[in-house]
Amino acid sequence: VAVKELVPTVIVIDDDDAVRDSLRMLLKSVEFPVNVYASAKEFLSRYVLDQPGCLIVDVRMPGMNGLELQQHLNMLGAMIPVIFITGHGDIAMAVEAMQSGAFDFLPKPFRDQDLLDRVQRALTKDADNRRDIKLHDMIRAHFELLTPREREVLQLIVSGKPNKVMAANLGVSQRTVEIHRARVMEKMQAGSLAQLVRMSLELQDQIKHT
Amino acid sequence: MTSIDNPSSELQALLDAAVDAVITIDSSGRIQVFNHTAERLFGYASLEVLGQNVNILMTDKDRQQHDAYLERYQRTGVPHIIGIGRRVAARRKDGTVFQAFLSVARVANANPPRYVGFVQDLTLRLQALREVLRERDRANRYLEAVQTILVALDRRGRVTLINRRGCEILGCDESALFDSDWFETVVPPEERASAVAQWEAFLSQQTHRSDNVEYHVRGVGGATRLIAWRYVMVEDTGGGVSGILCSGDDVTDSRRAEAEARDARERMMHVSRLATMGEMATGISHELNQPLAAITIYAQTAKRLLAAASPQIDDVGEALEQIANQALRAGEIIRHLRRLVRKHAAHREPTRVNDLIEELGTLTRADARANDVRVTLALAADLPLISLDAIQIQQVVLNLVSNAVQAFENSAIKDREILISTNLSEDGGVEIKVQDTGPGVSAEMLPRLFLPFATSKRDGTGLGLAISRGIMQAHKGRLEYSANNPSGACFIVSLPIG
Repeated sequence: VAVKELVPTVIVIDDDDAVRDSLRMLLKSVEFPVNVYASAKEFLSRYVLDQPGCLIVDVRMPGMNGLELQQHLNMLGAMIPVIFITGHGDIAMAVEAMQSGAFDFLPKPFRDQDLLDRVQRALTKDADNRRDIKLHDMIRAHFELLTPREREVLQLIVSGKPNKVMAANLGVSQRTVEIHRARVMEKMQAGSLAQLVRMSLELQDQIKHT
Repeated sequence: MTSIDNPSSELQALLDAAVDAVITIDSSGRIQVFNHTAERLFGYASLEVLGQNVNILMTDKDRQQHDAYLERYQRTGVPHIIGIGRRVAARRKDGTVFQAFLSVARVANANPPRYVGFVQDLTLRLQALREVLRERDRANRYLEAVQTILVALDRRGRVTLINRRGCEILGCDESALFDSDWFETVVPPEERASAVAQWEAFLSQQTHRSDNVEYHVRGVGGATRLIAWRYVMVEDTGGGVSGILCSGDDVTDSRRAEAEARDARERMMHVSRLATMGEMATGISHELNQPLAAITIYAQTAKRLLAAASPQIDDVGEALEQIANQALRAGEIIRHLRRLVRKHAAHREPTRVNDLIEELGTLTRADARANDVRVTLALAADLPLISLDAIQIQQVVLNLVSNAVQAFENSAIKDREILISTNLSEDGGVEIKVQDTGPGVSAEMLPRLFLPFATSKRDGTGLGLAISRGIMQAHKGRLEYSANNPSGACFIVSLPIG
């Protein structure tokens, strides 16, 4: 199946026509792809989790406000970074936003460079997140290929047990352990023991529940 | 009647028909003629008195002196009563005394001399006079006692009468004012021309017999007093105007008190308006921040666009246009704000109620937005113009909206709506409704809702609704509460037509 590659986009959500339009113009002038929405609800009705980019959201909006949108995104498992723009004296709200996982916030009015820097950082963060997720998904996919016996071996390898101890633990010959070990390294596409350990850390929850 | 000399029957008839008592005496004072009127007046039959000394008709002093009077006159020829006449006390047969006017003539060519006396009974006339005087005194006492200034002026504006109160207020006495030019004498120069013009206008018209005017007079110590005058035309018997009675009340103090009360009321409204604005400050500053933020971003974008290798001039133009628009928007918000924050003297003019509500839009939306509340307007078309004080009515609506917004604070209500609507009322006026989906007014608060200092807000003054209701009463309108369906509060502002 050919998946259409989604372009990282800056999404502006503000109910104020002028602020929204000026942000659209600014972002366009530095050639960021931009989408604008007048309300959180309108945005949510179009949003797909796979859309990379970042959000610029006014904290205060009638209907669903910025904080409520953040909570809603958290619930959806969306990791897209949110930059809040706040009015004067909205410090309490900004703090609350940061606590609920906002990427950053900017009080209005602000310098364009400050916003663009934050957007740039947010886009980088989003890209990193998505790469990490991708990596995680890959590791998980590889892990799924392991047999129950190989998963046991993986656990023993990362806990640093020598082959002899593993053989004793599993009640098999050292030769058999070596074969399992090679299969694990191959299926997990690990180039070294260190790499395998890192992968297993990613999978920690997965392994415990297996 | 009878006479000693038995005069001719014509003379007899004449004497009997006379209205006055006619009595003649001889040189020694003996009665010779005593006519019918004399008999009636003195209670004597003529036969009883003929030949008697006339002093029996007199009271003590005259009775003793009369012979001497006669003797003196006949000796000196100097008259004391003859040809002069005077008021005397006369004595009836029964001893009672009455006042009479006596005139005496000497009978020409009689020797020894004889005298004719005419006695006119003054009892009724004096009684009538006494009554007239009593009435006059009473009228005078009223005139003097009243706290109203009474001045009678002739057509030329000259003083013909002024009462004590008038003299007190003007600080001069009646004699100084009498016949002086009223306007020249008492009205300060700066008001004189207009007072005279009103006076002349009143005199030159025929439709009104009275008129009310106001002007100052120079009072005691040079201080001017404001007098409310009522002019009433006084007609003479021929139907012409003989003069004008001016009654004036000193309204200086009451006007000052009224003005002070009005000032106090306006100050209170102003303070209450400021309090409302203070409660809305967050929203308002936020609302002002929006265009400023937009302007900043547009300007920075324009600069960026111009710095590009091949600038997109169209985009720069659009950014500049938006900057201008947003600056105007900020200006508009400030203008509305200033209008409400400014102290203002009450004045009413025919106004479109919808315009007022729309003008409040920026401020109400600002306050609402800051609390995530949506404000909707539903304004009816074709409403009549209402004579009102725009700022005061805006204050009422703003206060209601601000209350509604605050009702949502700390409430878990998700659907936060305020509806401001206008309608034609049943009596042909205009109704403004402010409805919300908030928690509504509690049963405990309800009876005290419009009382001063009653508040359910933590730092509310409790004056907003009380002052708003006062404003509505001054407009002969109403401010009422009813619960909103299915929940929330509904305040109805009713403005009557005319």
